[in-house]
Amino acid sequence: MNKLLLCGLAACLYASPAFADEAEAEACVRQKVWDGYSEGWSIRTLTSSTLATGSTQNYLVTLYKGNEYQVQTCSGAGAKNIDILLYDLNGQIKARDDAEGPDPVLTYKPDATATYYIVAYARELNAGTDKVPVAVALTYR
Amino acid sequence: MIRTWTLAAALMMLASCGGGEAEKPAETPETPEAPAPPANPELPALDAASLAASAESIALVPSIVETQKALNAAGIEATLAEKIVERNFDLASKEDLDRVAVRTGVILADMLLTIKTAEDAELIAKLDGLNTGLSQLGGGADIQSTISDMKERLGVKALTRDEMLQEADELSGALIPELEFNGRKRTVPLIQAGSWLEGANLVAKSVPDDNPSAADGMLKQPAVVDYFIKYVKEEGSDKAPDGVGEKLLESLNTLKGLCDKAEPLTKEDIATIIKTTDDVLALL
Repeated sequence: MNKLLLCGLAACLYASPAFADEAEAEACVRQKVWDGYSEGWSIRTLTSSTLATGSTQNYLVTLYKGNEYQVQTCSGAGAKNIDILLYDLNGQIKARDDAEGPDPVLTYKPDATATYYIVAYARELNAGTDKVPVAVALTYR
Repeated sequence: MIRTWTLAAALMMLASCGGGEAEKPAETPETPEAPAPPANPELPALDAASLAASAESIALVPSIVETQKALNAAGIEATLAEKIVERNFDLASKEDLDRVAVRTGVILADMLLTIKTAEDAELIAKLDGLNTGLSQLGGGADIQSTISDMKERLGVKALTRDEMLQEADELSGALIPELEFNGRKRTVPLIQAGSWLEGANLVAKSVPDDNPSAADGMLKQPAVVDYFIKYVKEEGSDKAPDGVGEKLLESLNTLKGLCDKAEPLTKEDIATIIKTTDDVLALL
């Protein structure tokens, strides 16, 4: 199926995020990205992974000084608390979301151009859930 | 009040009457058990080494539109699109897929930069080029129908430039990086390398003579260059003397040397970047 065609479908999925797989989580986060264009955000990358409790997925990213960045997420049904963290190359945390929930957002404006890691962390899943799809989009403006 | 003091005194006497024997501490095991880690620790157990070992690079390379924004934010008022050199690539070659991938990346970068300003016919030509390149690379039917759909809507004025930029951003940043290209893992990095080299070339050409280090943040990208070098050096790359792989590697190694330089880039460094990237782009 043409992935771009999922964008229309994503509108209804966005309202009720209970996704069984990565494609649905991606469709949800894609809709958030598209909504963000009206506020000046543009997409760098959109991807997804499946996380078990306590596991992480990290993405190497170069962020430019002068631009503002936002990480958008959508998680599948069973995700209770997903965290998004930004680490520098030395393993130090530079920023993290402060919300408790399945679809965190992290906004960051770097004070220097550098390479970082964006880490999606499945901090807590609902009882009976082994793993969940987590879609992540990096946007900028 | 008196009753309280009496009780306190009695308790003190009891506490001090140990019969001369040192009071034994409460029984504790020889090696106390480590407390169980919290079920949901606030932070994952990650350090620099584990982060580096498990990182995915899909989001590493900045888009060329993002680079344009950063360039302007750095005080350089240049428009990258105005520096683009017209190139006529053969994207239909089936013999040298590395070259097709890099060419496709250049076309993609040029298209993204000119969506707001180019004539419809120019954009349609770029979409055709992109479609041919991705088809030769084995991108699959879905991506071709996506591009054909964009082209069709552009042709009948049913696609605004804002909408096209949005869709092309997603094409570049999300759809192409997820394509499998017949299992050829180097294809996506080589497409990204083409876009990034075009961007480095245009940025270097935009750097003012009197402030050669103004775009250091955009041109010094060691992690990005390392990522490309890894794939260009990979087994299976073309080794022909006139192959793009050799020239690309040479170009990336030169850029890597400049990335590793602790001092700000000089006018000579900028000239080197322009020449190095011009050479490899001309070879395409």
